[in-house]
Amino acid sequence: MEEEEKIKPQAVIEILDDGPLVISGNFILKDLKRETESTPGEVKLCLCGKTSTRPFCDESHNK
Amino acid sequence: MERDKSLSGNREYTNGEITVYWKPVACVHASYCYRELIEVFDPSSRPWVDMKGAPTARIIEVVNMCPTEALTWKWNDEEKNTAIDINQTNHIKFRRPELLKETGKNRGEEPVSVKVMIDGPIVIKGSFTLVSKGNTKDIKQGLISICRCGASDQLPFCDGRHRKVGYTD
Repeated sequence: MEEEEKIKPQAVIEILDDGPLVISGNFILKDLKRETESTPGEVKLCLCGKTSTRPFCDESHNK
Repeated sequence: MERDKSLSGNREYTNGEITVYWKPVACVHASYCYRELIEVFDPSSRPWVDMKGAPTARIIEVVNMCPTEALTWKWNDEEKNTAIDINQTNHIKFRRPELLKETGKNRGEEPVSVKVMIDGPIVIKGSFTLVSKGNTKDIKQGLISICRCGASDQLPFCDGRHRKVGYTD
């Protein structure tokens, strides 16, 4: 129980309607395909598949 | 399921200044703790350790008498734990270095793991706030899988359809 209380949300994961996944806060991003690992603080990840900068959003969902 | 005896009953107690760790499986009942300082270490009380029973310096002195790793201690101010001399025999640095690693980072504050899977979803693990369709939810040590191909019937979550639709990175 004590352990449970110590746990605080470390990041905010926001799924935008018809838009990307926005992650901000304390997180580690690993991209298994491109073999990268980073702690960017904030990212927008593509959820529609149209981006040309995978895994990141390039606003192609608006087109 | 059989309980792992080496972990059961481990406790920690703090007065805000130091934390005392209790590892019962290591105790050989040498009895220094309660003979020296019954005000803090009283085996007949529950909890048996009362950190308010004596000043910090005295608690440290008595914990250092424990001949085993049953009683160990550290400063809560992590800076102070970096300069500990050998006379502090029962500082966790000497007796239970595995705890030092844990306390270096504050437990419960591990970064959230976000993994972009090959030709698949985004798998998010940890403690985070999820905002979706106007709803905000705190997830504690949870795991979610977000669809990246757009074909899931369970949006925004992945239902495995990326394989059927042949989504590739």
